[in-house]
Amino acid sequence: MNRTYTLRACGALFRVRLAESVQYRAAAFSGVIVGFVWGLIECVIYTVFYRYGELPWNSGGFTLANAVSYAWLAQSLYGVMQLAPDDDIRKMIVSGDVGIELCRPLDLYWHWFARSAAGRLGMGWIRMALTLLVAFLLPAPLVLCPPPSPASLLLALAACVLGLLLAVAFSMLMTAVRLNISWGDGPLYTLQLFALMLSGNYLPLRLWPDSLQGLLRVLPFAGIVDTPAQLYLGTIAPADALPPLLLSLGWSVALIALGRLVLHRRLKTLIVQGG
Amino acid sequence: MRDIRVYFKCLRIHLLSGVEYKGWWLMLLNVFFAVVTDPLPTVLLFSRFGQIGDWTAERVILVYALAIAAFGMAESVFRGFDYFPSNLLRTGDFDRLLLRPCHLTVQVAASFFHIHRLVRAGTGIAAVWIALDRMGVQLGVRQVLTLLSAFLGGTLLYCGVFVLASGVAFYTVKGLEWINLLTNTSYQVTRCPVPYLPRAMKHAFTFLLPVLVVSYYPAAAVCGWGVPYWTGLLALPVGCVFFAFSFLIWRIGVRHYTSTGS
Repeated sequence: MNRTYTLRACGALFRVRLAESVQYRAAAFSGVIVGFVWGLIECVIYTVFYRYGELPWNSGGFTLANAVSYAWLAQSLYGVMQLAPDDDIRKMIVSGDVGIELCRPLDLYWHWFARSAAGRLGMGWIRMALTLLVAFLLPAPLVLCPPPSPASLLLALAACVLGLLLAVAFSMLMTAVRLNISWGDGPLYTLQLFALMLSGNYLPLRLWPDSLQGLLRVLPFAGIVDTPAQLYLGTIAPADALPPLLLSLGWSVALIALGRLVLHRRLKTLIVQGG
Repeated sequence: MRDIRVYFKCLRIHLLSGVEYKGWWLMLLNVFFAVVTDPLPTVLLFSRFGQIGDWTAERVILVYALAIAAFGMAESVFRGFDYFPSNLLRTGDFDRLLLRPCHLTVQVAASFFHIHRLVRAGTGIAAVWIALDRMGVQLGVRQVLTLLSAFLGGTLLYCGVFVLASGVAFYTVKGLEWINLLTNTSYQVTRCPVPYLPRAMKHAFTFLLPVLVVSYYPAAAVCGWGVPYWTGLLALPVGCVFFAFSFLIWRIGVRHYTSTGS
């Protein structure tokens, strides 16, 4: 009974958030413009290093076209794969409205999980679609290349779904930590920063030092941006797709378990304030 | 005079309320990491692809650090303008400021202060120092003054950006994410060796939003990267002009204001 309730409530949350996103389309458009300029600067930086660097052969088999496409994919995923706690939930924690959330006959973790996921998709999908569209239409050296095969595209889509799961699981862990109101946002930022950096958002993971490659692949963050992007580009061949996808799934399960644990422990000592 | 006292008093109160949080010092670390990791991709690219002509990682860090130090300083002293559209204007709280017998700019500027923003400025200055030291640049009085004017000019430039955004916010109220282009996105351009930038991009960040005027040109003048020395001295006047222009927009916006919020 409780489970059906939770499911139905979560479904309603998705509908509300998607409807909201159409209302806030102006914000999404300006997000696209910022993302576009950001991506453009990144493409210029890659081009300069690949063209004028002393050691252009030392790219580990990752071509300039790959790097440029990767930059656009990372930009388009940026809105969806947010790692910070959902803004509405964060405000509820700060204002003390968390008390109301606790009164609802829903599983708090999954309720907030759905809310976070819906928030990301709702605000992120316009930005994602427009960024991809613009990137496809750009002139040759800056263009987002199409995937090499249909299999790559399908696997990349699957990786996106798993990546979203992973990103939301991570942000829920952050939310659970954030419930301890007296610490403020302090403990979270650096964690989010490192997670973002190690997800490939800053620089394609393939261009990081060779000695770190093994570590970067095993950490949970690669599944958020790097795995979907590399599957799309075909730099991870469709035949090799299974291990990284299973790893993403495994990390999601682990982060969800950890998030639930921390949330339930925090709720026992929760202090609600405000009014 | 009284306004300046009020300004610092407000800052002090914000500072004290900020340190009430147990993890406040963590925010200092957070900003430090954010500043240090931002140019990391470029450093990693240098380590993979080697030098670009004369350009080494130190050069990029020097230019980036000059921009970021100025940005951090502006964020510290004019944080209120940065938050103005979302926290004062949209809520309608700006009406209250208009009623108070105190200078409006002071009130808005001092409406927020975060100690951790100073970390960005401090880290930037330290990075400038380290980069200059590692490149073995000899600093005379003239060079120090050039760098100082770059810092002041840059601070004025970014203060101007915040004021400009606040002025425009009177007309648009929401959807101001494009401001990000003029703030956090703008100094990303310094992560690329400037002579290799495409012409259009270089001109946009020199003449439209003069980020390169307060970062690259002073650095190039001080280190002798083959630009005329006077280009390095433009930072302060250009910063002043940009700030004056933004202030004008802000004043027009205030005149136009007829209350918002619910």
